[in-house]
Amino acid sequence: MTEIDLQVAKSPEVALAVRNLNFYYGENHALHDISIDFPARRVTAMIGPSGCGKSTLLRIFNRMYDLYPGQRATGEVIFDGRNVLERDLDLNILRARVGMVFQKPTPFPMSIYDNIAFGVRLHEKLNKADMDARVQDVLTRVALWNEVRDRLNAPASGLSGGQQQRLCIARSIATRPEVLLLDEPTSALDPISTARIEELLDELKEEFTIAIVTHNMQQAARCADQVAFFYMGRLIEVDSADRMFTNPKQQQTQDYITGRFG
Amino acid sequence: MADRSHIVKSYEQELGQLRSMMAQMGGIVENQVALALSAIADRNEEAADAAARQDPEVDQLEREVEGLAIRLLALRSPMAGDLREIVAALKITGDLERIGDYASSIARRSLRIRMPENQISLSGLRSMGRLVQENLRRSIDAITQQDSNRAMEVWHSDRAVDEYYTALFRELVTYMMEDARNIRACTELLFIAKNLERIGDHATNVAERVFYAVTGDNLPSLRPRGAPASALTATETMQEPDVR
Repeated sequence: MTEIDLQVAKSPEVALAVRNLNFYYGENHALHDISIDFPARRVTAMIGPSGCGKSTLLRIFNRMYDLYPGQRATGEVIFDGRNVLERDLDLNILRARVGMVFQKPTPFPMSIYDNIAFGVRLHEKLNKADMDARVQDVLTRVALWNEVRDRLNAPASGLSGGQQQRLCIARSIATRPEVLLLDEPTSALDPISTARIEELLDELKEEFTIAIVTHNMQQAARCADQVAFFYMGRLIEVDSADRMFTNPKQQQTQDYITGRFG
Repeated sequence: MADRSHIVKSYEQELGQLRSMMAQMGGIVENQVALALSAIADRNEEAADAAARQDPEVDQLEREVEGLAIRLLALRSPMAGDLREIVAALKITGDLERIGDYASSIARRSLRIRMPENQISLSGLRSMGRLVQENLRRSIDAITQQDSNRAMEVWHSDRAVDEYYTALFRELVTYMMEDARNIRACTELLFIAKNLERIGDHATNVAERVFYAVTGDNLPSLRPRGAPASALTATETMQEPDVR
């Protein structure tokens, strides 16, 4: 085993532990008996063809599915000692601790400053100076501060796609979550903006546990410590990124990542 | 998922092209080695010339395989089994090129041997040559059939090549000690034996790389080894004079 393999293997802390998870969209059984650990402060990439259940799994972690009737989950997702699927869980607190960024940038129709302050105000009472400091801190960490420092009160919609996506990441980390969920965060971005986001993930993983859904195999190879391959609602294989992309154990994984799926 | 070919047909074609270039290169060096061995055994000058003449073609193929492999790496971002196969091709082509070089070196040397009458037996060298040739053939079969079992056979058989070399080494040194007039011919034969041993090593390298490409696992880093040429091993580090 290489050193990188060992890092994944020996990371003792598990941020999210999924056990025997099943998920249903009404009658449709979308996830079958999934069990997987998400190691703390590591990037786990989820790959697989469209409809394989990877985004569904992501949406379970912060109970996004609760917004839709007829969707239900069974099994366990253990986060900080509690099952995320429990009915009486405070979803506002859960979603503050488990942040999410979507495929298309989704800035709120407000100023750059307020995009970040809005979420923070829901959970914390900060005075003006502290809020200013928080906004500057998160914008600096997503490498956006220098680009927007002179126009914090301008509408966020005026930013480029890549800047908007970095703003959305800034917004999700402003509430100081422990886990960051990213659903194809760069699929709508150009290569430079994509590289910036990937560089950002590398820095953010020192502090956050990151789960990323991506269709871009090279991106998974570049960013992830651990990679999970899903097919038709089942977890086929999970391994360190370098083993997954040089020597996967399952034929289905091999076929998918080499582009042989018929 | 039954179909194992790529969705992108041109990618599949390029991989096919890489495989056929490897097979072609393998075929040429196999022929070079056969010609070189016949040059020694039958003192066949034509065979010796023919072996040496194929060098440029092998060099050219090596460059083409490298070019295609680099192109595939850059444009296709190969993964898993494809990645291993392409990287293996990149290394195997170097091994094959070296095998070709050793074969033409043997061929050229064979022309310079003035054999003292009735003194030196070539039977050991012939047997060693046959075994090396057999291993090379199996290595090249392993490439074209992507056969890890074949590769494993070669890997196990390299020990026998080493043992032949050690025995031959002792035999030739004995001839030289018996009669100083044997020294010139035996020195040439010694280098030929060493070149054959190197060909065997490269054939084993090829087998190891095929094994990795096919299975994703490495053969143990320590090969099964024959006994060293004991006190006489110092000669193994002797620099080979340029025979071109």
